[in-house]
Formats: sequence, structure tokens, C-alpha cells
Amino acid sequence: MIAIEQLRYVRLGTRDLPAAVDFAQRILGLQLIDRTEDTARFRSDFRDHTLVYVNGDPAEQAVAFEVRTPEVLERAVTALKQAGYRVTRGDADGAAARRVKTYASFTDNSGNTIELVVRPLNSGWRYFPARDAGVTGLEAVALRNRADGADEALWTTLFNGRVSDWVGDAAYIRFDRAHHRLALHPSQRAGVFAVEYAVESVNQLMQSHYFLQAAQVRVVHGPGRRPTSNQMFLTFAGPDGVLYSYVAEGDAIDETSHRPRQFPFRPLSFCAWGSESELPEFAAGADR
Amino acid sequence: MIELKDVSYVRLGTRDLEGATHFATDYLGLEISERVKGAVYFKSDQKEHTLCYFEGDPKDQAAAFEIDRREDLDAAAAQLEALGHAVRFGTPEEADARKVRAFIAFKDPSGNPIELVWRPAFSGRRYHGTRDAGITGFSHIGLCTTDAARDETFWTTVCNARVSDRIGDAPLLRIDEVHHSIAMFPSKTPGIQHINHQVESGDDVMRSFRFLSERQVPMVFGPGRHPTSSAKFLYFEGPDGMVFEYSSGVRSIADELLYRERQLPFEPKGFCEWGAKPEIAEFRK
Repeated sequence: MIAIEQLRYVRLGTRDLPAAVDFAQRILGLQLIDRTEDTARFRSDFRDHTLVYVNGDPAEQAVAFEVRTPEVLERAVTALKQAGYRVTRGDADGAAARRVKTYASFTDNSGNTIELVVRPLNSGWRYFPARDAGVTGLEAVALRNRADGADEALWTTLFNGRVSDWVGDAAYIRFDRAHHRLALHPSQRAGVFAVEYAVESVNQLMQSHYFLQAAQVRVVHGPGRRPTSNQMFLTFAGPDGVLYSYVAEGDAIDETSHRPRQFPFRPLSFCAWGSESELPEFAAGADR
Repeated sequence: MIELKDVSYVRLGTRDLEGATHFATDYLGLEISERVKGAVYFKSDQKEHTLCYFEGDPKDQAAAFEIDRREDLDAAAAQLEALGHAVRFGTPEEADARKVRAFIAFKDPSGNPIELVWRPAFSGRRYHGTRDAGITGFSHIGLCTTDAARDETFWTTVCNARVSDRIGDAPLLRIDEVHHSIAMFPSKTPGIQHINHQVESGDDVMRSFRFLSERQVPMVFGPGRHPTSSAKFLYFEGPDGMVFEYSSGVRSIADELLYRERQLPFEPKGFCEWGAKPEIAEFRK
């Protein structure tokens, strides 16, 4: 069992880096900390960065999780190989570019690239964004996955993930006291479905709701409240088909007493306030 | 000094009593407490009724406040008449129709019909809404004012209201610990501007936003949050153009001595700290 310490960053390829940078700064409200010709890094909290846009194919995406030591990474590589996953060890250049001590990457059953990183850089300088969206940090990542449950099994047996709740076959997986850090949505294809940033409170979430409307950003779901995590959410479209969410509140999980609950695959299981989405992942078209 | 103790009810005339009843129950979520010929009474809290729709002119409206003692009615009548307001004592039949023991009717300086009532009926049966809107009770009214400064003087010197905050020249007035029971809206004509019901939580405000939007109820403001009272709100339009509000989390002013009213700008930011833009005539300059 490999222990995941925390979610670290999401790396996304884009064909239009200036537009992605503009979105991340002006709309999403992250802090641009490093910009080269083909890379832009963004800070959202105590982590050096939680979002990276890279010039390239939008299908080139990766989600990084931290493991504690090189020994744990070594065990993870071995375990993944034994289970038949294709694992690539990171080299020194790759580690420097990721601002981590060492790392390895593998592809899950659906085709999503996952990076396991050791000693990723934190920042002593606090996050100071251009737009006051009230972001407090990277909260979770939602991935599109195959519907066969293979990736749920990967995260809950090879790694220390626990299922907090299911909506249909979509699984919310936690690694700490937060309801989930990883959401797996059965889908026709692989890829990063949504990157979720926590904001201070309902006020910042709703302020962003009106801000995004004024900025003509397409809101695809919400504002709403998830009956699963009890988080308020607002989900909107970012560049290259990747969604972003602001989330607020939500219930922490008590490991001793929590039992995962099964919710029906219906819009009301994704939003208790009744907001509907056109996305099939959120049960578009199903009965309320 | 006329000591207003509580808001009691609102009476609204309508040409379509069935339509108004449908809205009040199926959309707003009130409970019918009684149907009589030409009128329907609605319940929203422990009172016997807090809203009455009756067959008549939609311009025929009244807002009622409770006073403590029977003799307060006579004293209020004398004081109002001395100030030049025409005061009418209700007949026993009219008092029955309002479910009160006695009342007087007059118009405030803008011309809004106000009733002062003695011993309004409470009910032993608790409110159970037609739909689960989470309503906890009728809470305040918005009143149009043709001269905000003049009307503020009337409500705060002739009556016992205190200014909790001002948006432009329009005061929000309290008569007890609730941030406001009367919200004044500058307007060219008198009338009840909106009717507020409190709901249990912000979740109820948002659920109703979805519920009512799906049913094509015109949203006129929100969902939002008032910087003045800190309440989360939603304004929408009901029959005869009347605006109804749900809100949750209105602040309570416990310390009369320490509290100081604040001045907010008469612009969208003064009405909503989330950035909602009002579609209400009185909110526009």
C-alpha cells in the first residue's frame, strides 16, 4: 500500500499559451510565478505551484501526487510494474523542471498520466494573486476514466485512497480528511475533467459567479452544493476543454465512522440545489 | 411616540384571486389558513395569517404593525390626527376580516396605507408550507417613499423605528432586534415595494432560485447578499407585479447603545456584495 501525501500540481498542454496564461491569471485568479517561452507556472497556496501550462498538445496532461521519500517512490515503481503498469523514471532535468527531488510517472488504466513526486518545492513567499478570487488552495482534481472500475481499484488497493462516496460509478477518493482529492468520472475518453480550487467562503464563490458572468466565461455547473461532500461549487470552462471549479465549505471525513454512500446517477446527486449541467458526466438528461 | 412591536400582515388586492393563491402556495410556499368569499388568508409562521389576498384593486394594499395596548390605538390616532393624518377606526367586521381585536388605518407621509392592530390572532397549529421552501416566517416589508428624509423622520420620531443603515437616502428601519422591519425605497409613487419571508438557510435561498427559475418566475434581484443586513437574498416577481423576497441570515442588533448606522452607496454594490445587478425599478437611479 503506497501512501499518497497530497495532491501537488496539474500540468496541461495548450496550443495557445498566452490565452491560457490570461485565463489562469485574470479569470481564475492564480499567481503567475514563472514564465518561459513554453511554460507558465501558477501558484495558488503554500505549494510552489499547483498549475502548469505547457506549449504543446492539449492531450498532454499530468496530475502529480506527492509520496514521502525516495524509498516509497521505489516501492511504488516496483508495485506498479508488478501490476503491469508502464512506469517511467524521471531524470534530473525532468525533476528540476517539476521542482521536485525525484519522480516517476505512469499511465492509469484509462490513459491518464500520473506523476509521483518526492520533496516537491514549497514556497516561503505567500500566494498573492492579481485578482482577489479568495482562492485558498488546490483542493481536488477530477479525471475522466473508463467505466470498468479499474482505476478506482488502482487508487484504493495499490495506493491508500479510500472511496468517500459514489454517484453511480463515479467515485470520490480521499487521501486525507478532505472528502476527496481525486474524483473519477466514467467517461468516453481519458483526461483531466476538472481542476478544483478551494475559496474562502460562499461569498467569494458567489462573487466569482457574477464576475464570470460579466467576463462571459461559460459556467457549466452551479452554483450548487454537492450532497456528497457538502461542498458548494461553481464549475466553469477553461482553455482546451478543461473545467475549473471553485469550491467552498464541505464536510471533513471522520475515518472511524464514515462509510461510503452510494448516490443514484442523477443531476440531484451532483447538486442538491437543483442546478443542471449539459455534461453527461453530471448525469445530463437523467431524471432529477 | 407610537410603539410598533411587530410586523403583522400584508393585505393585497388582486383581480385574479385564484392565480394569486396558486402563486402564494405552489411557488412562494405559504399555507392557506382560511378561504372566505373574496379572500384567501396565508400562514407563514406562528401567526394565524401574515398575508391576505382579496378580490379588488391591486393598488389597494395595507401593511399592518402590532401595538401593545388598546389605549395605544387611541393615543396613536390622536397623535396622527394632530399631525394632519386622516385616521379611521376599523369596524368590528373589518377587524374580524383582519383577525385582530381592533385596529386603526391611516396613510404614512408618502401615502402608504398602514394599519395599527391590537391583539392579532396567533395559531396553535404550526405552519406547514405547501412546498418545502424552508420559510421561517414573514419578516419585513419594503415601502415606497416619495421623500426618504421626510419619511425617515416620520417613522423615527412619530413612531419608534430606528435607522439601522442607509443606502443612499433610503433608510432601513428596525423596530426590534431584527436589522430591519421596514426598508424604504425611493419612488415616484407610494405602495408596498416588496414582501420578505425569512428562510432557514442559504441553501433554501439557492434551492428556491433553481425551483422558481425553472418555473419561469421572473427573478428581479439575486441570488445575492446584502452588505447591510448580511442576509443572503433572492427577489422575484409575483402576481400584480409585487416583488417577494426570501432571505436568510439577517443580522440582529442586540446593543442599541453601541450600534451605529452605516451609509452605503445607492448603487448595486450597496445592495449586493456578491455583484448581483438589480432589475428592480426602485433600485435603479
